[in-house]
Amino acid sequence: MPGPLPLLFRQTWLYSRFELHRLFMTPRGWFALAAFTTIWYFLLRYPIYQASVQLQEPEIQQVLSGMLGMVGMYNLLNWSLPELSVYWAMTVFFMPLAVMFSAADQTCTDRSRGTLRFLTLRSSRDSIFFGRFIGQLLVQALLIGLSLLATLALAVWRVGELPATALNAALLIWLNLLIVLMPFTALMALCSALVRSSRLAISLAIVSIGAVAGVLGYLVWHFPDLRAVLEYLPGAQLPMLLGAQGWDTLKYSGLPLLQTLVLLIAGRFVMQEKAL
Amino acid sequence: MSYLIEARNLSKSFGQKTVLQDLTFSLPAGEPIALIGPNGAGKTTLFSLLCGYLPASSGELKVLGHKPGSSALFGRVSALPQDAMLDPNFSLLTQLSFFGQLQGMSKSTAVAESRRVLSLVDLAANAEQKATALSHGMRKRVAIAQALMGSPELVMLDEPTAGLDPVNALQVRQLIAKLSNEASFIISSHNIFELERLCGTVLYLEHGKLVQQSQVHSAATQGYLTLTLEAGAQTDVLPMLRQLPGVISVSDSQKHEYVLQFDAELAPDFDLTLLMALRQHGWRYRMLTKGQTLEQQLFAVTAKQA
Repeated sequence: MPGPLPLLFRQTWLYSRFELHRLFMTPRGWFALAAFTTIWYFLLRYPIYQASVQLQEPEIQQVLSGMLGMVGMYNLLNWSLPELSVYWAMTVFFMPLAVMFSAADQTCTDRSRGTLRFLTLRSSRDSIFFGRFIGQLLVQALLIGLSLLATLALAVWRVGELPATALNAALLIWLNLLIVLMPFTALMALCSALVRSSRLAISLAIVSIGAVAGVLGYLVWHFPDLRAVLEYLPGAQLPMLLGAQGWDTLKYSGLPLLQTLVLLIAGRFVMQEKAL
Repeated sequence: MSYLIEARNLSKSFGQKTVLQDLTFSLPAGEPIALIGPNGAGKTTLFSLLCGYLPASSGELKVLGHKPGSSALFGRVSALPQDAMLDPNFSLLTQLSFFGQLQGMSKSTAVAESRRVLSLVDLAANAEQKATALSHGMRKRVAIAQALMGSPELVMLDEPTAGLDPVNALQVRQLIAKLSNEASFIISSHNIFELERLCGTVLYLEHGKLVQQSQVHSAATQGYLTLTLEAGAQTDVLPMLRQLPGVISVSDSQKHEYVLQFDAELAPDFDLTLLMALRQHGWRYRMLTKGQTLEQQLFAVTAKQA
């Protein structure tokens, strides 16, 4: 056996890779892929395609620019393809919610079924926890990448060519989305470590976010000086992120990465202490 | 001396309830070790502590010189945990191979090792099936198979034959007996006769306390014979046995079964005397065992303590 650290990396990678295996080699994964394809077919075919066509109209562009400018999101229309603008605006809000469902079962079912007992005799709880988390990120990276490629294909079909800047813009959106989703995936890793079913993990995550927002809202109402605290909630950076453009968008990465770190530390602690 | 397991003042509580209380014992490698006790005695909790599934509330526990759950034990210690199931989404081969890879094997070695352990439990033909397609007994055998992956030095089996039909239970016992030269086994079971056949050392737990740690065939059992007679009307057996020269006491522990305590110095050939007496009375015996049965050893002591 290698030393503890190389062993941790090796086993973490094995767990991460196994999540891809779960997606592509099991009926459950195939159903998830089929659902993903169907949802994206309809999203691309109707909202994204229709909105992209509408965004070509100068009058609509003028009205939207004025409206978005008022809320600091003028740059939303400045992506190199209107399809990417619509994709970005939609996914940045809808994907975190989707991830709360898709990443809910990182360890909970394995714990209630007793499968973790087989695994912890051969690997550390850290490698299971971080391996599953990284595995979820890999799955997200892959699926977001595929949906972006489909969006670019739709744009090529509409305009007949791909602008030189489109790939760069798609890469930026891909990177930004992954960063946006990280704290939500880490939150689900924590919730999954706390409870024994994915339904409970989802409920716990939703209730936690609601409770934290409620308590903070109450505190801010009574102590307005605490308003800045609200900016540390998961997803708080999204309106500002939508107002940014190009590589400038990455300047909002600090908060979600920090949130991810805090949630992973909490999740690791729970995973270490929890009875199996 | 390095021990397989060392426990010092080990306790485990769940809230106000103390499940294991101040256990201190050392177990050397060698013959299989039995963990016996009534329901709720704390056997499964002790197993969980040994496997690192639960942290101890106090005291110290070492397995092969390391803290349970330590990375130094990966691949060296394996277990059949009670009620644990494999992931129903993957085939047996996929999961066992994955376990092998986690233990440090290459993919091809892990696949070959998975097939080997599945054949040990007579499930080679089911390698591509999922756990959900198997019967309860087959699932149990797969769980035993995973515990044999690689070359573990210590294998802990919690109720290995519970829920198995007699043929499969026999196969599992034979497998343990065969492999007990290669690895040390700790077996928890309610089946005292099974443990008697397989194990050399016994840990007897009751109400979370270690009541007894003894050898199955220890010197303490010398001076005893256990006689089992064939069924039939033998009403005056007990008085006759008590009259034999050298007898200290005779008890009828079960139907047609008698435990004779004798003075081995006064009557060194007591077994021959007994056989001759049986022949003289025309009583046919089914079994004559040197020493006490494990059941008698354990429960005679606990009854005295009570």
